[in-house]
This record gives sequence, structure tokens and C-alpha cells, in this order.
Amino acid sequence: MFGKPEVLTLASALAGHAAARQMIVARNVANADTPGYRASDLPDFSKAYRENGAAGLRHTRVGHLHADPSPPFSVAERSGKGHVSPNGNSVSLETEMVKAAETRRDHDMALAVYGKSISILRASLGRV
Amino acid sequence: MIESVSPLSVSASGMEAQAARLRHVSENIANADTPGYHRKTIAFDAVIERGEATGQVRAGAVELDDRALTRIFDPGHPLADLDGYYDGSNVDLVVEIADAREAQRSYEANLRMFDQARQMSQSLLELLRR
Repeated sequence: MFGKPEVLTLASALAGHAAARQMIVARNVANADTPGYRASDLPDFSKAYRENGAAGLRHTRVGHLHADPSPPFSVAERSGKGHVSPNGNSVSLETEMVKAAETRRDHDMALAVYGKSISILRASLGRV
Repeated sequence: MIESVSPLSVSASGMEAQAARLRHVSENIANADTPGYHRKTIAFDAVIERGEATGQVRAGAVELDDRALTRIFDPGHPLADLDGYYDGSNVDLVVEIADAREAQRSYEANLRMFDQARQMSQSLLELLRR
């Protein structure tokens, strides 16, 4: 009866995605000089969420069949314009910095949306 | 998603490895004029725990560069042979400085990732503080 508002689920899923991506980017940067290391990445949030978030099974009772509420995002090797150095390493620090900035933005946005929704809920309850 | 290591420790391991690399570069530069000195190199390895890569990195074992030592002509040197030559080091200062700059660049990138991870968790905690 009292379901969690969709916007909160969405915001926390975005924050979770940003956190997982931060981990991947940190790993790529740490291994920027490791021979044979291939850069990896997560799919975009919109894609990942459509695949296993919103399109998953909805459930109204705990006993019902439902998909795993927090599916792990699938990590894949970064594709596209990759330049592989002679030692087999495909990390580009510039690309990683761009990804890091995107991650930061997504995370900030998720937290802002979450915080704002909570304060709207509080306002509707008559508290400030 | 449960990770056995945090982004902070991954970035910290990167900084540690780059710092070790920088230390070997400075050892090489300090010994550029030591007769018979072979330059030291290190390779980075991924850390494997329980058969799985944790994403951390560490500096591997020290290896000596086996390039030929430079022959230096100085008949007055105590180590000089009959022709007046002695073996110098095989350190190339240009290579060392390029390596140092690369290590510094990677170190800074790791530091930036560390700071970003810290700020992200900080702002997450800010949500609780209102």
C-alpha cells in the first residue's frame, strides 16, 4: 500500500550506478601502466536501468516472484576508439577523466534529486 | 554490488605503485655516474586475491636493465683499463626524466580519483545530516 516512490528508487539506482562506475574508473586509472590491462566500463545508466530496472518484474508483496532489486551492472571491456600501447594496455587517462566527471555529475544529480524529493515529502507532511 | 575493496583503496594502491616507480627513477638518476651501475626497472602487476583480480595494482619485482654499459674514455680514472676506458652506468637521463613525468601524471590521476571517491561518499553522508 505504501510503496516507495518511483523517483526515490530511480535516484538511488542512479547513485548506485555512479558508485559502481567510480569503482571501474578508479580501477582503470590505477592500472594505467599495468602491462596487458584492458580498460573496462559499465553501460550507460539509461540502458542498464531499462534492461533490468524498470522492465523487471513488479511485485506488491514480499512473497511474489520478483527480480533482484539491485542487479549488478555488467562490466564490459571498453569498446570503440581505443589506442593500445605497445605493452598491451588500453587505458587512456584523458578518457578516464571524462568518465570520472560524468560519474561525478550523475552522482551529484542523483543525490540532489533524492534530497529534494525527501524534502518535498516532508513538506507535504507539514514539516520543514 | 558488494566489492571486496573500495575505490579508495584501489586509487591508493595506484599511488603507492607510482611512488615506488618514482623512487626507482630517482635512484637511477642519482647513480647516473656510478661506474658499473645497471638501471633498475619495475613492472606493475594486478593484485590477485582468491583467484580474482581486485583491481588494485602493485609494483612488481625490481629488474636490472641489461643494456650494455657505456664505455667512457678517461685514462686517469682508477678503473680505466689498458686502453683508457672504463664502464660507466647504462642510465639514460632523458629516459629517466620521461619516466618520472609519466609516473607523476599517473600519480596525479590516481589522486584525483581518490579525492573524487572521497567527495562522493562525503556528499552521500550529507544526506543523513539534514
